[in-house]
Amino acid sequence: MHSNETAPAHEPAHELDEPAPAPPGGLIGVVGGIGRGAIDLVRTLLALYSVFVRTLYYCVYGRTEPGAIAVQMYEIGNKSVFFLTVVMGFLGMILVYQGGLQTLRVVPDLSMLGATFLELLVRDLAATIGALMIATRVGAGIAAEIGSMVVTEQVDALRMSAADPIDYLIKPRFIASVLMTTVLIIWSASVAYASGMLTGWAMFDINPRTFVNASLLDIGDISVGFAKCLAYGAAIPVVAGHSGLDTFGGSEGVGWATTRAVVNASLTVIILNIIISVAGILIFPT
Amino acid sequence: MSSEKQAPPASRRLPPPKPLFETIGIASIEIAETAGGMAILAGKVLARVFTLRLDGAELMRNLYNMGVKSMPIVMVTALFTGAIMVIQAAPLVERFGAYGLLGWAAGFGTLREIAPLLTALMINGRVGANNTAELGTMVVTEQIDALRVLAIDPVSFLVAPRTVAMVITLFMATIFADILALLGAAYAGQGLLGVPPIIFFNGLTSGLLGIGDVVNGLVKSIVFGIIMALASCQYGLAVKGGAPGVGRAVNATVVASAAGIFVLDYFVSFILG
Repeated sequence: MHSNETAPAHEPAHELDEPAPAPPGGLIGVVGGIGRGAIDLVRTLLALYSVFVRTLYYCVYGRTEPGAIAVQMYEIGNKSVFFLTVVMGFLGMILVYQGGLQTLRVVPDLSMLGATFLELLVRDLAATIGALMIATRVGAGIAAEIGSMVVTEQVDALRMSAADPIDYLIKPRFIASVLMTTVLIIWSASVAYASGMLTGWAMFDINPRTFVNASLLDIGDISVGFAKCLAYGAAIPVVAGHSGLDTFGGSEGVGWATTRAVVNASLTVIILNIIISVAGILIFPT
Repeated sequence: MSSEKQAPPASRRLPPPKPLFETIGIASIEIAETAGGMAILAGKVLARVFTLRLDGAELMRNLYNMGVKSMPIVMVTALFTGAIMVIQAAPLVERFGAYGLLGWAAGFGTLREIAPLLTALMINGRVGANNTAELGTMVVTEQIDALRVLAIDPVSFLVAPRTVAMVITLFMATIFADILALLGAAYAGQGLLGVPPIIFFNGLTSGLLGIGDVVNGLVKSIVFGIIMALASCQYGLAVKGGAPGVGRAVNATVVASAAGIFVLDYFVSFILG
């Protein structure tokens, strides 16, 4: 995935001429392609791991800059509220509408729709769809900001002053993102549930008193949902920050870095989702 | 302590609060401007497409860049999403005690909502952002003006091929994602719940789901493709203010397209029933 994103940035002019760059023929070409992809993937993973570990280190031993985290919390949190409210409001309406229609095909009773919807939201959908949206908005923002600092050599200036850009740039975003992602996801879940309740009331005549039913929610669902909030909140700034620091090649490079940040952060959310969901099933069997 | 080390001090301070009504007003005018621009662009693109005035080579190049190069992302997303659908549907099915319903429960969610939605979101991140960056760079380096000077219509040379390519890409990618997500779901059902794939596919084809569910998802993918293409081209062509403007436009595109995808998803679901 990494190689696909970076390859055109190296030679954009070449690409304009040939629609499909011819790979070296035969089996060697295929194996070589897979090998190159695998090596790139391993390199990216190692780099991400290094950024993550250094971020954690600086969270404990780094310098403290009053206000830096608050600014990032405002950027990541407050500025995303409107976007997430719109998206999650519509998501709640869509899910209850489709879920209700499909359930009516099998059982004529919709009294458990609200409880099932709440369980699904808490365990998976609020965190995952919310985090995909945060990855899009916040990930692109972080990569664009850090990327333009890299191409204007501000990051080199930081390094020259013996300041690690991870301490100055990524750590405040990391702490802010872990806190604000959790807050935003709880807000998203409430919005989605409220809009779902109104849809159930308007379309299927489900009384809101019946719809609001937390009987299916157990400690397993809440722990899995909370673990997802923390994992996504930690992963998004690390992946996006790494893409930003990896920028090369002027203002066009910033565009590539932004794209790569959104794609890699979204893929990370999906992969973390399956890991945490499987772990959840193994730890809390239904 | 930060002010002399890096970053202008302004970026370290919280912005002063703006009056609420001013914020709402500015945001509404901006949304109306973008929506209007997209509608005008849609009219122009339709005129070019129906009179077949679009650049063939550019169309093929964009199909390759948008479609073929997005395949790895679509594959990974679809396989994992299918597996997640089974994990999430499992308690539902266990409550009814009917493992034969697993195919139905995971299938309707995948075909009608999750496969088109997640494919669109992933392609939005990769292709939509890229498209805006490309067009925006052309605008700030005055390449669009150069085209006009050469009497080449930028809409039929740049915008129409991108729009058509994105709609085709999303349509094909959704078919591909449907198949892979169901495969992922079937094998996740076997691995995690011990439901053999054959029972999963029986549940899928037992009559509760029909071709209508697949068509529902595919209609959505076409709508998503149109909105993403128009939004990314509109934001790209409206770039102002040099290289930082391109960055802002890219950010605005992915956000606007994602919101547009969810809003339209609801209306399409509602209209198709």
